[in-house]
Amino acid sequence: MRKGPLIFLSVVFIFFLVLIAQNSVKGDVGYVGTETCKGCHEDYYNRFVKSVHGKKAVPGNPANRDGCESCHGPGAQHAEKGGGKGVAIFTFGRKDDPREKLAKCLTCHEETKTLAFWNMNRHRAAGNSCDSCHSIHKGTSKDLLAAKEPDLCFTCHRDIRFQFNKQSRHPVNEKFATHQKLTCSSCHDTMGSFVAESVDSFTSRLGTGRGKMLRADSAKELCYKCHAEKRGPFLWEHPPVEENCLICHDSHGSNHSKLLVRKVPLLCQSCHIEGHPGSPYTDLHSFQGPATSGKNRFFARSCLNCHTNVHGSNGPGSRGKAFVR
Amino acid sequence: MKSRMMIVALIVTLVPFSVVFSEDTRIEGEVSVVGGYVGVTGGEGGEAKFTEYKDLEEPWRLFGNIDLGLDSEKYFLNFEANDIAYDTQRYILDGGIWGKFKFDLFYDEIPHNITFDARTYYEGAGSHNLTGTPNVNFNTWNTFDYSIERKRYGTGFGLPLIKPFFFDVSYQREEKDGIKAAGLAASTPGGFIVEAPEPIDHTTNNLKVEGGYGKNPFFLSFGFLYSDFNNSNDKLTFTAPTAPFLTDVLTLPPDNNSYKGFFKGAVKLPFNSKFNVNLGYGVARSDTTLVDSYVSGAARTAFTLSQPDFEGKVKTQNYAFVLTSNPLRFLDGKIFYKYYDRENDGDVVTQTTGTTVFTNPLFEYKRNAAGIDLGFRLPAQLLLNTGYKLIMTDRREENVEVESLPDNKDDIYSVELRWNGLDFMTPKAGYEKLIRSADFEGATPENRRHAYAGQRRDVIRIGVDTFPSENFSVGLGYYHKWIDYKEDIGLNKDERDGFDISADYTFRSLAKLHGYFDYEWIEFSPDQFRLSAPVGAWEAKQKDRTWGYGLGAEFYVIPEKLTLYILHDYLKSNGNVDFTLDPALFAAATGLAAGNNENVDIMRWDDYTKYSFMFKAAFSVTKSLIVSAGYVYERFKYNDIQLDGYQFVNPPGGPVTGSNGAFLTGYQKDQSYRANLIFTSVTYKF
Repeated sequence: MRKGPLIFLSVVFIFFLVLIAQNSVKGDVGYVGTETCKGCHEDYYNRFVKSVHGKKAVPGNPANRDGCESCHGPGAQHAEKGGGKGVAIFTFGRKDDPREKLAKCLTCHEETKTLAFWNMNRHRAAGNSCDSCHSIHKGTSKDLLAAKEPDLCFTCHRDIRFQFNKQSRHPVNEKFATHQKLTCSSCHDTMGSFVAESVDSFTSRLGTGRGKMLRADSAKELCYKCHAEKRGPFLWEHPPVEENCLICHDSHGSNHSKLLVRKVPLLCQSCHIEGHPGSPYTDLHSFQGPATSGKNRFFARSCLNCHTNVHGSNGPGSRGKAFVR
Repeated sequence: MKSRMMIVALIVTLVPFSVVFSEDTRIEGEVSVVGGYVGVTGGEGGEAKFTEYKDLEEPWRLFGNIDLGLDSEKYFLNFEANDIAYDTQRYILDGGIWGKFKFDLFYDEIPHNITFDARTYYEGAGSHNLTGTPNVNFNTWNTFDYSIERKRYGTGFGLPLIKPFFFDVSYQREEKDGIKAAGLAASTPGGFIVEAPEPIDHTTNNLKVEGGYGKNPFFLSFGFLYSDFNNSNDKLTFTAPTAPFLTDVLTLPPDNNSYKGFFKGAVKLPFNSKFNVNLGYGVARSDTTLVDSYVSGAARTAFTLSQPDFEGKVKTQNYAFVLTSNPLRFLDGKIFYKYYDRENDGDVVTQTTGTTVFTNPLFEYKRNAAGIDLGFRLPAQLLLNTGYKLIMTDRREENVEVESLPDNKDDIYSVELRWNGLDFMTPKAGYEKLIRSADFEGATPENRRHAYAGQRRDVIRIGVDTFPSENFSVGLGYYHKWIDYKEDIGLNKDERDGFDISADYTFRSLAKLHGYFDYEWIEFSPDQFRLSAPVGAWEAKQKDRTWGYGLGAEFYVIPEKLTLYILHDYLKSNGNVDFTLDPALFAAATGLAAGNNENVDIMRWDDYTKYSFMFKAAFSVTKSLIVSAGYVYERFKYNDIQLDGYQFVNPPGGPVTGSNGAFLTGYQKDQSYRANLIFTSVTYKF
């Protein structure tokens, strides 16, 4: 028998044994208790007690374990050295390794539905940690967010803010409103998400990389949650509609009505060039234009003046097939 | 209104149950009343545009808002109410016993106003039956509003008690009521058109049940989604514009339902790895009675149907398997395979008129995706993410002579670099490349659908977030996107650039300043070809340039007592289309007889300017009582070639015939507006 594999396996076994032994040696050395922390950090303590983390009724909560030190680690050295930001204590500062910060939170939250798939999440891949969005001590909302949506998201996603300012948009960033009708998290699962249909073929309008963290298995399944009338199934289907709403619509906002990615008729003409869609419709086809024919294919709602059922039709014969009835 | 008040009453009656709480119950919250005046100057579309997602139709108004939280060591209960009794009202009640159970109830209204006082010669706007004959005197037509009101209510329930098991159930019902625009072509192609009000009376019920187990190393979740959509009007009947003695029918979305069962799971593996699974199977069904004729000109074209009803049935299956691993401190890996299948089991219906037979195709597709992502944590806190994804899409259309939809193969490469090594800034850059091949069948150029066409897509993003000091931050971003389509006809280029910057600065405890600037430039270049006589090539370069900025300031005139707020936002979009036409196309058949390459370009292409100013002062009378007052001015100017010089009847005064003819309703007419808001509010915090 060759000894090489045996030696290799032995080394691996010993390595894991040492790791396990190290993890099991956790004791209460260096812990000072929450009351000691309160002595200097009363504001933080008061907010902690009020927050969900301070509820003893919740099993496994910091309140049931080591209080402040559940997350910040043993505080004895910190106290002995007279305190100070980051002195012998883990503070979740901006310079701290995101993975270390994550590990603290995931100790409890990894087993929850919310964070079960955090390991696949794009926010994680980009090097974020929980405190990028959550403020455990200062967060005012139920979710302890550092700011309200969508402002919190716009801190990084400034280009998306721009889309939501446009004249055709979903009501996520309405000015002078007491509350927003939709939030980013209405559609995006920012901490988990496990999209089954890859949407990257038709999106990446601006973005690069890995998924859009949708709250559904596909883009259209997400849209159907509010726009169930588009679900059909119809007798006459418009294939791009059945495949991905994002082929024609920009879900955040657009300069063009109905959040369209391009203005009709040029949007339709991007695909349809046979028959009359193959004609150029120009300035001459406006209300005051001198065109001698074809104007009603351009002014007002343009192609939709006739092809009103572009999302699908149950109409008869050629009228249904062309989405006219 | 009655139903609204009942819901309010129901929710409010639940609040007194807080008396079961123990003595340590803490009550916090605030109540505010906002009163004000709104003056809007604008056309029918302008007033609606200003109130697109708002309820500000009445000039004088009084809003109430409540935010109430009760909290104890054992229980919690929160109640929030906004815009009480208005079309934007919202009520949320959530509560429970910490660690045992939680529940929520909500009611929410969302208006979507598009155009007020639209007009139609038809009687019965908003119903499923429109009667009337065309007439050109639009001043005598009936008026209605293009507006849709959504009312959503629902509840949810969760059981943290059974941890590590979990069980959640949620239910939501949405009622959508209003009118949208429909097009009723008198005859196609080539006939005049009639715009008409389409009734919206939809109800959707969504139910989600999910349960599972979550304790390391396992996470298992089983769920079921059910959605049921009901349309009170699945057909709109109307007097045929060309034959007042005949009734025609426009089909509307049919009743449908769908269900989906899913399993999501994960198991932790050695070497800091995790294997994740997502399996789903769903079915969507619809059912409708088919229409067997339509009116063309002054006659009815009838069909012999192979069956009177249509049952649509689409099955979807999805599988996704993802292995993530962080075996070494500097390496993050992800390898995945995803499969999505849309299978169409709907009825195949033949519709026969004379010797012409129409058979509906059944569209199906499968999408296979596989890929690998690798993240490297390099020295000096450099984070490098790289990825490759292969997506294969297989499209099928049954019952068509030639399948015109291609299969696609997408290769997507991505790389991102981020540097976290500096205290005062985080620079980042990313690049993504997509290479798509498409195997179109059939040689005819009209099959070259741009959505599926072969392409090369490049996206570059760079950005930097800087924090020069604790009280100063600046973020900058730039992107460039380029799509080069491989097909000769249709859209052949999509190019865009964008730039954004945001800054925040807090000046001691005296003031906070913030601002942003956004810029975007887009160009689409299609090369088109008119296939029917007169044959010829044409090009239409569409350009959009949009930019905007915002400036805001908070001045703490008397710290913690008097604060002044100033806000200014500005947004401008300028679009145009530059046509280049083959001279052969300037022929009467296309309506371009009066044109040449100098006068066909479009200079108003969804052009708009929107800006606003807000001034507000907030004074804290006591720690609990805050009084504020303010003024808002908002201006929206909109110009567009398709709506400027709007005519309800084209040509004005008639006769309305041919492909220049139209009876329109005013949908999106005159969207410009000026609005002045004066408001004052009193907020009491406790």
